[in-house]
Amino acid sequence: MSAQPTPGPAGPMVDVRGVRKVYRRDAEELTVLDGIDLQVPSGEFVALMGPSGSGKTTLLNLIAGIDRPTSGAVTVAGTDVARLSESDLARWRSRNVGFIFQFYNLIPVLTALENVELPLLLTSLSKKERRERALTALKVVGLADRGKHYPRQLSGGQEQRVAIARAIVADPAVLVADEPTGDLDAKSAEDILNLLQTLNKDFNKTIVMVTHDPRAASRAHVERHLEKGVLASTVARHEETTASR
Amino acid sequence: MKYLPYIFRHLRKTWIRTGSTVLGMALCIFLICVLQTVVAGISDALSGAATDRLVTRHRVSLVFPLPQSYLARIQSIPGVKRVARSNWFGGMPGSGKPDFKNFFPNFAIDAEPYFAMHPEIVIAPDQMRTFMDDRRGAVIGQELVDKFGWKLGSTFQLTSIIPPYQIGKPFDFVVRAIYTLDQARQKGGSRAVMFFHYDYLYEATNQQAGVGTYNLQIANSNQATAIEKAVDSQFENSDAETKTETEQAFLASFIAQAGNLVFLLNFVGLAVAFTILLVTANTMSMAVRERRKEIAVLKTLGFPSRLVLSLILGEALTLGIIGGVLGVGLASTLISNLSKIPGLGAALQTFPNLGLNPRVTTLTFVASAALGLSAGLAPAISAFRSNITSMLRQV
Repeated sequence: MSAQPTPGPAGPMVDVRGVRKVYRRDAEELTVLDGIDLQVPSGEFVALMGPSGSGKTTLLNLIAGIDRPTSGAVTVAGTDVARLSESDLARWRSRNVGFIFQFYNLIPVLTALENVELPLLLTSLSKKERRERALTALKVVGLADRGKHYPRQLSGGQEQRVAIARAIVADPAVLVADEPTGDLDAKSAEDILNLLQTLNKDFNKTIVMVTHDPRAASRAHVERHLEKGVLASTVARHEETTASR
Repeated sequence: MKYLPYIFRHLRKTWIRTGSTVLGMALCIFLICVLQTVVAGISDALSGAATDRLVTRHRVSLVFPLPQSYLARIQSIPGVKRVARSNWFGGMPGSGKPDFKNFFPNFAIDAEPYFAMHPEIVIAPDQMRTFMDDRRGAVIGQELVDKFGWKLGSTFQLTSIIPPYQIGKPFDFVVRAIYTLDQARQKGGSRAVMFFHYDYLYEATNQQAGVGTYNLQIANSNQATAIEKAVDSQFENSDAETKTETEQAFLASFIAQAGNLVFLLNFVGLAVAFTILLVTANTMSMAVRERRKEIAVLKTLGFPSRLVLSLILGEALTLGIIGGVLGVGLASTLISNLSKIPGLGAALQTFPNLGLNPRVTTLTFVASAALGLSAGLAPAISAFRSNITSMLRQV
């Protein structure tokens, strides 16, 4: 896995400007995000916090390119994702974003190794190369010996680590994590957070993580709080996080 | 190719559902295969019928014989070139109980006019002469030679299952000729038929045998309808009214007995196919509905919607192909063994070319693939159109 190239000398890795997201249900309009501005420099670890319904996951989905803003611009790794067509957006996601879900979402009929290999099926790599890369990713998360296990044969923490391996196997610029420790016990959650920190520190991955857990958020360089679709406050703890590493 | 393991894993995961769907598909393809083979056999038999040949039978049923006196009256009708009497003898080899296992079609005929109007039946002139000179002579097809090992000069006995032809002892025959079929002259025909002299039957039954059918050859096939009417009007209001029709119509009515059998068989095939289409479509819909989260994950990972659509169609197509292979295999096994079933095998000799032909095999393979694809189309389109965030929210 390589250290990530930055989008440009001056540009942030994630640049969200004036984003509004409005859902329409019949005649009713629901504004979930209202004029969000968020810049995440390359190599930064950001935690998005806030109460349920504040728009955290919606913002994360916009950054990951699985949803589109009603207005405003979302630029990630130098690409304005809102301008891409559906197929271009899919291709862009496969190369630039690694998504970590709260409930792991591994494919149950595939082994751990095959799950990790899945994003590489979209590349032109040979089967051997795909296997080697998937195994490397499993080694990074400490599960090289569990490659032949199916998800049902793994603990929750192990499943999440496989999911992280799947997220990093294509060497994306940005990792987005939606409550990655929300379904885990304290020990497993700690392991996952350590792993995310390692990916951020050693592999220079830019991470945007949604969480309710203040302890999880404390691992990030920056905490951004959302309230009713608006970024309300920021807590920066660069030095202390760096000091704790 | 690299997505095949993914497709197979999913099919294997719900193996009971997959197995039952494949079995249903196989049964459907099997039925279509068998029905289409029968349809092809019937069409083949009908296409062999000549346009200048008519058949006159009892209006009520083939079971009732016609009087001998009709022969001269039919011959006198303008436009009629030849007339030959023909009776289904229903003879079984041996002298004891009916041996259905070795049954073959056998007819008592007026040899000279009959063979003259059937140029597809080719008999060497010297064999024909020997046959005509021997009252007990028999003409047999190559299949009977192969089956019974008979050759020119071989003798055998037949006992009829038809009461008027049961004379207290078996009929003796001598093989005097072996015919071949000239498909260039006339399509169709069977190589498993035996012919013998009508007069032998007539005399052996003490002149009690009636006439099963009068086979007519007409001078101009365009006059077929007029001659049919002319023959039948001759015998109107008699004790034995007749029904005259073209050989093709006669064969069709004989084969179908009633109504349009080909239409019926095709309709049954379509109905079965449609039912299986609904069942498989339901299975695929269930499979996709259960995997909405997985589809959302694939799309999140960067799988284009078209690829997701292809994966689901691939799964449905695989079901169709496996079902097709099983169904065709099953049908092939059954059809190739039909002739070994006592009784049925003999009846099927009416269809000389009955077998799983390449056209039917191709048709059913295409049908199975099309069924699979059609069944997967609606769920695949649904997955194609589905939105990632809404699918993740629904889970």
